[in-house]
Amino acid sequence: MPAASGKRFKPSKYVPVSAAAIFLVGATTLFFAFTCPGLSLYISPAIPVYNAIVFLFVLANFSMATFMDPGIFPRAEEDEDKEDDFRAPLYKTVEIKGIQVRMKWCATCRFYRPPRCSHCSVCDNCVEEFDHHCPWVNNCIGRRNYRYFFLFLLSLTTHIMGVFGFGLLYVLYQVEELSGVRMAVTMVVMCVAGLFFIPVAGLTGFHVVLVARGRTTNEQVTGKFRGGVNPFTNGCCKNVSRVLCSSPAPRYLGRPKAEQTVLVRPPFLRPEVSDGQITVKIMDNGIQTELKRTKSKGSLEVTESQSADAEPPPPPKPDLSRYTGLRTHLTLATNEDSSLLGKDSPPTPTMYKYRPGYSSSSSSAALPHSTSAKLSRVNSLKEPNSICESGHKPSYRSEPSLEPESFRSPTLGKSFHFDPLSSGSRSSSLKSAQGTGFEMGHLQSIRSEGTTSTSYKSLVNQTRNGSLSYDSLLTPSDSPDFESVQAGPEPDPPVGYTSPFLSARIAQQRETDLHGRFTGAISPKHAPPREPSPVRYDNLSRHIVASIQEREKLLQQPLAPGREEDAALPDSGIQSTPGSSNAPRTSSSSDDSKRSPLGKNPLTRPAPPRFGKPEPPPALRVRSLGSSDQPATPHLGKSVSYSSQKPASQASVPEAEEVALQPLLAPKDEVQMRTAYSKSNGQPKSLGSAPPGPGQVPLGSPTRGGVKKVSGVGGTTYEISV
Amino acid sequence: CCPQVHSLQELRRSASLATKVFVQRDYSDGTTCQFQTKFPPELESRIERQLFEETVKTLNGFYAEAEKIGGSSYLEGCLACATAYFIFLCMETHYEKVLKKISKYIQEQNEKIYAPRGLLLTDPLERGMRVIEISIYEDRCSSGSSSSGSSSSSSGGGGGGAGGR
Repeated sequence: MPAASGKRFKPSKYVPVSAAAIFLVGATTLFFAFTCPGLSLYISPAIPVYNAIVFLFVLANFSMATFMDPGIFPRAEEDEDKEDDFRAPLYKTVEIKGIQVRMKWCATCRFYRPPRCSHCSVCDNCVEEFDHHCPWVNNCIGRRNYRYFFLFLLSLTTHIMGVFGFGLLYVLYQVEELSGVRMAVTMVVMCVAGLFFIPVAGLTGFHVVLVARGRTTNEQVTGKFRGGVNPFTNGCCKNVSRVLCSSPAPRYLGRPKAEQTVLVRPPFLRPEVSDGQITVKIMDNGIQTELKRTKSKGSLEVTESQSADAEPPPPPKPDLSRYTGLRTHLTLATNEDSSLLGKDSPPTPTMYKYRPGYSSSSSSAALPHSTSAKLSRVNSLKEPNSICESGHKPSYRSEPSLEPESFRSPTLGKSFHFDPLSSGSRSSSLKSAQGTGFEMGHLQSIRSEGTTSTSYKSLVNQTRNGSLSYDSLLTPSDSPDFESVQAGPEPDPPVGYTSPFLSARIAQQRETDLHGRFTGAISPKHAPPREPSPVRYDNLSRHIVASIQEREKLLQQPLAPGREEDAALPDSGIQSTPGSSNAPRTSSSSDDSKRSPLGKNPLTRPAPPRFGKPEPPPALRVRSLGSSDQPATPHLGKSVSYSSQKPASQASVPEAEEVALQPLLAPKDEVQMRTAYSKSNGQPKSLGSAPPGPGQVPLGSPTRGGVKKVSGVGGTTYEISV
Repeated sequence: CCPQVHSLQELRRSASLATKVFVQRDYSDGTTCQFQTKFPPELESRIERQLFEETVKTLNGFYAEAEKIGGSSYLEGCLACATAYFIFLCMETHYEKVLKKISKYIQEQNEKIYAPRGLLLTDPLERGMRVIEISIYEDRCSSGSSSSGSSSSSSGGGGGGAGGR
């Protein structure tokens, strides 16, 4: 045998097929030579004829199984997968007759393996309807040659039975003398036949069952449909007929390449542009080229979603779906992807490749693309209409409202928004916000959540939008802390993660300014009236005002003793970075009240919120970090946050946003959020009053000229102007 | 004047390949060969939706016919068995016959509908029946018209600059 070292020729892989061939042909030849003459002479001449036919059948099927292309997929060309290269998810799911089936990306062949396709490591090919790689024929068994393999098994079993049976007949009837050569050979042949009969018959029976069930060996062995339903079966009869009676499938490899004889020459006809398209184009704002690219990239996602749902395809989210490798974002991406693609339950843990390059590309441009991609594709949907309207706004504003919902919504989406976009963005942002908020619990700020969850471009957008929105809303003089909290300093998106700290510093500065007023103040009731807070609550909606007033009344009485205690208590954990901003505290407390398991601190020391603003319109009441407040309080907090969503004054937007932020955060988020807020907004501990017990109503500093101080757990103090 | 058959290379003097769209398989009914009739967004401005859908639907019909399990395919199988599959040397299978029909149809569609619009369909057989590849050509003479949704990176860069700055 030639040396196998240099070339790919591996003699070892030919051993089984050679052995099988030798045994088959050899034994049969011996049978025909030694047994059949006697049999035909003394019993019937039909016996050799019958055996010959069967043997011919065996040989034919054996040859077809061995030499026929099983259905090898040609490698995908470069242009087919150029966009998928390292940004594609490892799996795509597709729905087949209601069952989710996973398609895996084949790195060798550069495409997503169709259902039932598998990559054979021996042959190094993806094979359509891959059954198994049979060493006895040294070939993969797939769609094209499964029939021949099955028939080979059947015919071989028949042949073995025949050879054994007729040999036995020959021996038993002692057609010739027992000690003769022929007898000996017959006996040897019988032994060989008997020896091979057991495995061959077993395999035949196994495949009969598989054919009846409509499964492949691969599926059976890997237990794919062990507990569930096989989507590829059409019933026993149809399965059998499909295997045996269908027309042989064509081969993909080795085809003569069709010559393209069609002329493609400009000028090209163009279809008439419809209104919907015009709308999209307006929105696009010149980013159309990327839009199309995104769409084409997203075509696979759209595909997926189409097969998975009957609903209109959700917006393509190529960015999200193209992340692999960052396992921390696995669930996030999965959830986002699924929420976007509308899958009821993503069955596969999608793995996303990290795509660092994408962030470097114009992120904000890419986002609008996907957004407008959605718009253009679903012209008829209501949401796009609202977005279309809002699309007339500056594009950087409008487009991200759809796409980076995950990070945008926490900050902007749920607020009673200054932005008319909110109607569209809110609804969509809710979806993703819910999806993302929970995933991103470990992240400290919403901003940072947004950063890590999806592409950086979205973070950039968020930053900008946040700053823009806040700028437009806040009174010009004030709320540097808000800006720092929410929008952060303009710089790089990744810094968004650090914004809480940054804002904390700023908040600290502010606090030092205000600190003098509160030093030694034990009871917020006696807090001197403050100067007007940077954020004006003048325009709070009536509902908010009413609810705040309600809370004030509720909390005023028990508040006094509690407050003193709170003031004395050490800061137990959530460090309240001194900060004097008002609104943000509101939000955190309102949410805190809803979620108890935030930590020991909230439970042990629910601090009453402090309101620091003496102004007539009551500020948003801040729920302290203590979650053990009265049920009314959480309610109130909640109502505050939700009521804040109503279109309200611009001044109240920042707080509202923060208030709105809270409901969106998962419990895990809350701790970090609160930390962030407490850092930015917290008053000195001395000011914070933690209520003595769980039953204590944490809310409500009595208004001193309209300024309420709410102290949260850990000494965070919030000031709300009332 | 007598029509000349130009090679595609020659044609590209005036029309350049801009991008390719891939129409994926529709697996909702199992492994039967069907393609998605969903209209790719990239073709929005290039061809009427209805024409495209009709093409794909016709193709799907052809494939369904090819894979049909009926009397003819059964007889063909029996005959093949009886002749120990030597018949395949002489005769082409039912599937192959339909594939030839498909190829002719695609050629005809290209000539009549797609090429005048700067598009070109590729027989999915060349791609292992996984995708229908539609090549979008751009008129090189005109100034990179945006309506084709060209995915060239240059235009992508321009788009990036416009985003929300």
